[in-house]
Amino acid sequence: MSEAVMELKNLKKTIKGKPIIKGLDFTIHSGEVFGFLGPNGAGKTTTIRMMVGLMQMTEGDVVIKGHSVNSSYKEAIRHVGAIVENPEMYPFMSGRKNLVHYSRMIPGVTKERIDEVVRLVGLENRARDKVSKYSLGMRQRLGIAQALLHNPSVLILDEPTNGLDPSGIREIRSYIRRLAADEGVAVIVSSHILSEMELMCDRIGIIKNGELISIQSVQDALKETDKKEVLLEAEPVNEAEMIVKEAVDGKVTVHGGEIVFTAKRDELPSIVNQLVAGSVNVYSVTVTRSTLEDKFLDLIGEGAIE
Amino acid sequence: MSNFIQLIKNEQMKLYAQVSTWVMLILIAVFVIGMGVFFKVDGMMSDDSEQAGENWEQQLEAENEQLQTEMEEEPGFTSMNEETLEMNQYRLDNDIPPDGYDVWDFVQENRGNISIISLLTIIVAASIIANEYKWGTIKLLLIRPISRTKILAAKYTSVLIYALTMLLFLYLLSFLTGAALFGFASPAEPYLFMKDGVVNEAPIFQHTAAQYLLSSVNLLMMATFAFMISTVFRNSALAIGVAIFLMMSGNTIVSFFADKEWAKYILFANTDLNQFFTGTPMISDLTLGFSVSILIAYLFVFLGLAWVFFTKRDVTNA
Repeated sequence: MSEAVMELKNLKKTIKGKPIIKGLDFTIHSGEVFGFLGPNGAGKTTTIRMMVGLMQMTEGDVVIKGHSVNSSYKEAIRHVGAIVENPEMYPFMSGRKNLVHYSRMIPGVTKERIDEVVRLVGLENRARDKVSKYSLGMRQRLGIAQALLHNPSVLILDEPTNGLDPSGIREIRSYIRRLAADEGVAVIVSSHILSEMELMCDRIGIIKNGELISIQSVQDALKETDKKEVLLEAEPVNEAEMIVKEAVDGKVTVHGGEIVFTAKRDELPSIVNQLVAGSVNVYSVTVTRSTLEDKFLDLIGEGAIE
Repeated sequence: MSNFIQLIKNEQMKLYAQVSTWVMLILIAVFVIGMGVFFKVDGMMSDDSEQAGENWEQQLEAENEQLQTEMEEEPGFTSMNEETLEMNQYRLDNDIPPDGYDVWDFVQENRGNISIISLLTIIVAASIIANEYKWGTIKLLLIRPISRTKILAAKYTSVLIYALTMLLFLYLLSFLTGAALFGFASPAEPYLFMKDGVVNEAPIFQHTAAQYLLSSVNLLMMATFAFMISTVFRNSALAIGVAIFLMMSGNTIVSFFADKEWAKYILFANTDLNQFFTGTPMISDLTLGFSVSILIAYLFVFLGLAWVFFTKRDVTNA
C-alpha cells in the first residue's frame, strides 16, 4: 500500500456534553479515492470540518503528511485543498478574481497556475463573469479549481457532483480519478449518491451516529453483492430448508414459513431443480437485495439518527 | 509580513468590488458638493467676506466697543462676548485681518460629515466578518495556511484603511469644492482659538487636519465596537444597530451619570479629544493622558473580545 497521507487518530467531538463523533480511526493513502458515506446527521461534515481545522477536536488528532492539525496547523493545511459543504464564493466578484483572492493566501501560486486550473475545470470562457451569474454546476467547478490551486496532496470534496449535469459529473469523476492515479493525490469524497461512489471511489467508509461502522474497498463490496438474498416460499418448510442448506454455503434462516438465504444468480436454477426433485412445492422465489446501495442501507439502517 | 499585505489587498479588493462601497463614496460626495452649492446659492457666506475690507481695524474696534457696552448691560453673555473681544484684540495687536468665508471655512464646516463617515465605517466594520459567515466563504477563508489572528488583524486593518480613505476623500473633496466655490486661501493662514483663557494661533491647514483626526476618535472607537459585536455575534445588523445607538446616545449617557464618581471612565466622556486642544474639558478632572489611556483600554477590550471569539470558535452553520 502507498504512503499514508492523512491519518485520523481516535478523533472525537463532543458538543454540549453530547458525543457527536465517537472516536474515528482510519488512514487515507496517496493515490486513493476515499468515499465518506453516511446518512444525514451521521457526522460527515463535522468530521470534515475537524480535518481542516474549522472545528476543534475534543479528543484525538488528524495528521496530514506528518503534521498534526492540532499542533502545526499551517504546515498540515498547506497540503489540503477542500470544499466544505457548498462551494460558496464571493458572488460580486468574477470567478477569476475569486481564485486570485485565494491564491494570495498561499505562497507560490502563480498567475499561470490560476489559468491552468481554470482550464482544468473548463471555466475559461466564463472566468471573467461574476459568480452571481454562475449556475450551481459552474460554482462547483470553481470550488474545485479553488481547492486545486496549490497542488494539494489531499483533496477533500463535500458532495462534489452536486448540481452538475450528467456530462459534468462524468467529467469531474474522470478528473478525480486522474488526479489520484497520475498525481498521487488522496481524494476524500463525501456523497450520498451511492452509485456515484461505486464509480468514483476505491474505498468507502461508512459512518453512522459518529462511529465508523464499516470500511471496505469497493471491489470487495461489489464481489459480495454478487450474492443475492433470496426469499423462498415453499412447502414443506423443513424439507426445503434441508435441501437449500445443502445447496448453498451461506446462512439459511426461516422466517414465518419463508426461507431466507443468499446465493449467486447462477446457482438459483439448480436450487429450484433440486427442490422440485425433492417434491417440495415451490410457491415463490424472490430475489430481494442485489445492489451495493442496499448493502449500505442495511449497514446504515433506515435513516436512524440518534 | 508579505502575506499580511496580500491579505489586506484581498480585503480591499472585496470591499471595492461591492456596489455598496461606491454608493458610500458617492453619498459623501453628494453631501459635500450639495452643501457647497447650497451655501453659495444661499449667499449668506459671501456677505461675510465683504466685511474684510480696507478699514477692518476700525470695524473691529467698533465691534469691541459695542461688545463692551453689551457686557455691562447684560452680564449673562459675558463669557461668549469676552472671547470675541479678546480675539478681536489679538487681531488688532498682531495685525491679522479677519478673513472672509473661504475654502478653509468650508473645510471646517465639513467636519460635521465625519459623523456620516462614522456611520459608514460602522457598517463596513460590522459587515467585514459577518458577511463572510453570511456568504459561507468563511470556511474557504479559514482553511489556508494563515492563522486566524492574522486574518482578523487584516480585516481590522482594512476597516481602518477604509476609514482613512473616506476621511482623506472628505478632506480633499471639501477642499476642492470650497476652493472652486469660495476661493482659495493659503494653507498657512492663521487660525485663532481660545485655550485656557488665552488666544492661540495655528496655521489653518494644521488646525483642520488635526481637527479631522481628533474628530475621528469617536469613529475609531465605535467602528472597533461594531467590529467586536459582529465578530462575537456574527450578525451585522445587530452590530450596526447597537453601535449607531451608542454613538447617538453617548453624550446623553455621559450627562445622565455625570455626577457619579465613575462617569469619567465611560467611553464617551473621553472620545472628544478636541476639548483638550481648542477648548476647556467638560469634566474638570479629565486630562489628555487620562482620556487616551481610557480609550486604549477600551480598544484593547474590544479587540481582545473579537480575537478570543474569532480564533477559538468552531465554524458551523448556526
